[in-house]
Amino acid sequence: MSLIVAAFGFGLVSMSIIAISAVGFTMQFGITNMINLAYGQVMIASAYAAYAVNNAGVSIWLALPVGAVFGAVFSFLLNRLIYAPFQRKGTNLIGMVIISLAVSLVIANVMLPIVGYYSVSYHQNPGTTYHLGSIALTGAQLAIIAVAVVVMLAIYALLRFTRLGKAMRATAANPTLARNCGIPTARVVDLAWLITGALCGVAGTVAGMNSDSFSVASGSEFLIPIIAASILGGAGSPYGAMIGAVLIGEMTEISAAIISPEYKQVVAFAVLVLVMVLRPQGLLAKRGALAAAG
Amino acid sequence: MTYYVTTLLVYAAVDILACLAISLQFGVSGIVNFSFIIFQAAGAYTAAVLSLPRDTANGGFQTYILGLNLSFPIPWIAATLVGALLAPPIGLVVLRRLRSDYQAIAMLVLSVIASLVVTNTPAFLDGAAGLALVPQPLSDKFNPYSDGYHWAYTAGALVLAVIVFFIVQRIINSPYGRSLRAMRENEVAAKALGKNAVAMKMSVFVVGGAIAGLSGAILVGFITTWAPSTWLYPETLILFAAVIVGGRGNNYGAVLGALLVPVGFEEATRYLPTFGPPGLIPALEWVCIGGLILGFLWFRPRGVLPEQRRVFAARPKPIEATEQYAGRD
Repeated sequence: MSLIVAAFGFGLVSMSIIAISAVGFTMQFGITNMINLAYGQVMIASAYAAYAVNNAGVSIWLALPVGAVFGAVFSFLLNRLIYAPFQRKGTNLIGMVIISLAVSLVIANVMLPIVGYYSVSYHQNPGTTYHLGSIALTGAQLAIIAVAVVVMLAIYALLRFTRLGKAMRATAANPTLARNCGIPTARVVDLAWLITGALCGVAGTVAGMNSDSFSVASGSEFLIPIIAASILGGAGSPYGAMIGAVLIGEMTEISAAIISPEYKQVVAFAVLVLVMVLRPQGLLAKRGALAAAG
Repeated sequence: MTYYVTTLLVYAAVDILACLAISLQFGVSGIVNFSFIIFQAAGAYTAAVLSLPRDTANGGFQTYILGLNLSFPIPWIAATLVGALLAPPIGLVVLRRLRSDYQAIAMLVLSVIASLVVTNTPAFLDGAAGLALVPQPLSDKFNPYSDGYHWAYTAGALVLAVIVFFIVQRIINSPYGRSLRAMRENEVAAKALGKNAVAMKMSVFVVGGAIAGLSGAILVGFITTWAPSTWLYPETLILFAAVIVGGRGNNYGAVLGALLVPVGFEEATRYLPTFGPPGLIPALEWVCIGGLILGFLWFRPRGVLPEQRRVFAARPKPIEATEQYAGRD
């Protein structure tokens, strides 16, 4: 029992990381109608950017913003240079998925010779361990949870209270109508890529902090819980992704304690299959995954 | 030399089979099956465990299920069947209600997970180490190390590729193939004309799965080993690159793509002088595959040999131009 409670504690950290990344992933989809399968690779690239700074002797907490900025710029350029031109050309949804997968392959293999094949880990001081019953979390893990809470509140505030957030929601709902109402959708999409890219960068860096080590190959591992959480919550819905992250984070960690850590991803996948069979539109979204929506 | 040429030709036959299946699914019907490689893997594993003796033989250095030690055509037939039978359960989850790009990512995730499960379950198919010493077909009657055997194997593989080529050709030129193309172009319109899109997708999925299973059996019978590292999800992307380069929806394009991309790349790097640190060349190879997909989708999305535009042979006689239609032609 105490094992499960302890796993619940790790689940809190997992869900924080998944929440940051899944909100970014799902917003990219919601606003630009594009499933960006290169997301996991951008996360890893950002984690390595933070690692470069961290390795030079800077604290990982100061390297975190570097990861965020790197992720933002990288995602922005990715959209401007590759995705947006293809979308303008009228490439269909399927074509865009193939393109993003090809991009993910290119990023991973351009990175390999640069960063090397071996796993690396951040130079960090995990801090003192805090106990609450059987839950034991390090200071760094608590800080990751705090970062996630702050990011979620910030996203909520952005979408709820700012003009930009309103413009983003309008663009997500109907880009043509939004443009006709005078919303500069091109700029909104640019900003959306910057913001979601920053989320991606933060997520990559904290994921690197929470795992003992990471390598280029971790990119596709990251992607599975993110996809599961986004689809569970309803693709395109940021709040859905948050709920999805909570469920997937806890389920994977608790199943790791009960069954075996190797099957963490399998549990995430099983949830994905159940959602696709029972409620393909996800918990919150009204349309999303169902056919003939877009 | 014989071994080199025959290996090349067997790989070519296997890749041609795989590309024909992908061309049928993706090119003709518009289904992006990113888990294609697991169908090939299922066929290969099936053929392997059916032709291998029990896992206690060979000193028990590998563990696997079955090990029935069956003789030649049965493992290959079973591999084809398993490839076909794997399609309905996956198709039922994925193909029924989901939007096309969701179908693609669901199958991509499935491919990653399948490899994870097989790797982490050593008792099933020997985990990450994979199966080795798979007996070659008819190796009890002929010497599998002789040149004659290699040539016979190659000829058999190529004959099967040719047969499958004509079967797929037959499918895509039939009225059924026309329905498939209608579904690809406009699924709602095809449904409105009474076509059952789910049933059509499912049937294409099954046929493609069977071809993939057969290709896996041919491959494992020749190379005699099979491990999770040979069927990681990027392998599917190579085949997609091949079909995109060759020309999707056109069988000749699929064959050309199979010869250019998977076979061509493997051969080109063989003659390349080694440079840079180890692993640089494979990494660059993957970058080129990705670049090839992007480049072709941008500059020549229909491929080298584009799908033929199908038009009626004879134009029906023009209807007398009435006032309503005058000036429209």
